[in-house]
Amino acid sequence: MSIDVVLFWFLALITLASALGVLFFANPIFASLSLAMTMVSIAALFVTLNAYFIAGVQLIVYAGAVMVLFVMVLMLFDLKKEKRSFSKGTFTNLVKVCSVGVFAGILLASLAFFEKNNSTSILTGSYADNTKELAQLLYTKYVLLFEFLGVLLLVIAIGVVALAKSKGGTHDSNS
Amino acid sequence: MIQTPDILATITVSHYLVLASMLFIIGMAGVLLKKNVLVILMSIELMLNAVNLVFIAFSKYNQSTSGHIIVFFVMTIAAAEAAVGLAIVVSIFKRFKEVNIRFFEHLKG
Repeated sequence: MSIDVVLFWFLALITLASALGVLFFANPIFASLSLAMTMVSIAALFVTLNAYFIAGVQLIVYAGAVMVLFVMVLMLFDLKKEKRSFSKGTFTNLVKVCSVGVFAGILLASLAFFEKNNSTSILTGSYADNTKELAQLLYTKYVLLFEFLGVLLLVIAIGVVALAKSKGGTHDSNS
Repeated sequence: MIQTPDILATITVSHYLVLASMLFIIGMAGVLLKKNVLVILMSIELMLNAVNLVFIAFSKYNQSTSGHIIVFFVMTIAAAEAAVGLAIVVSIFKRFKEVNIRFFEHLKG
């Protein structure tokens, strides 16, 4: 086994373990740290697929900005009395788990169809940096989408400030 | 020396797809089952990351850079979505003094 293959299995193990941590930790702080671990290992998986720029953006945006936002909002709340992390209701939870299982079955069955004519390794090929190509594509072919994204971020920034300033609730605004 | 099985020794695109599917399923279970709204938002981020992984894997598989562009856009939208979701959570907390999904599943102020 080459070092690439070992690296993939190692990263896959870490990613799945920390994703399960998000699901099963009762304390939201532990869940958010586990999510940060997942983000970092997904960035490493992007590096194994030669997506260097995207890996950097993943580290900066997700593991940096978004996780800081999550942890900051968590610190605003007093969540010490949380004991159970799953919602109540045995029957509804059973239905939810069954729907997740059905979805997993459909997904894995469709992957099994894809599997048939596909046995070449994906980790081979050039390790060239494709950031320049990415930038040229972004500013020529997709430049209109890029501009729309700027407008969207402006709208989001204004909307979030307005939303955070509101008292909360819609029905009686004078309380 | 023991011969390693082919599924362990050769990493195909399907390995990445199965890994991303598992991440997506874990995220979906988190969205459906968890009680805390913040953890539900974290699970949504997990699902978005799984989709990004699929895009990058197919981009490598097809030797094309367009998948990277899509991932770039998805990341921007995800950051905006996290900001809006956290603002909603803050306003919910101001109102109910708790972030349990049970209190606002009827969408009534």
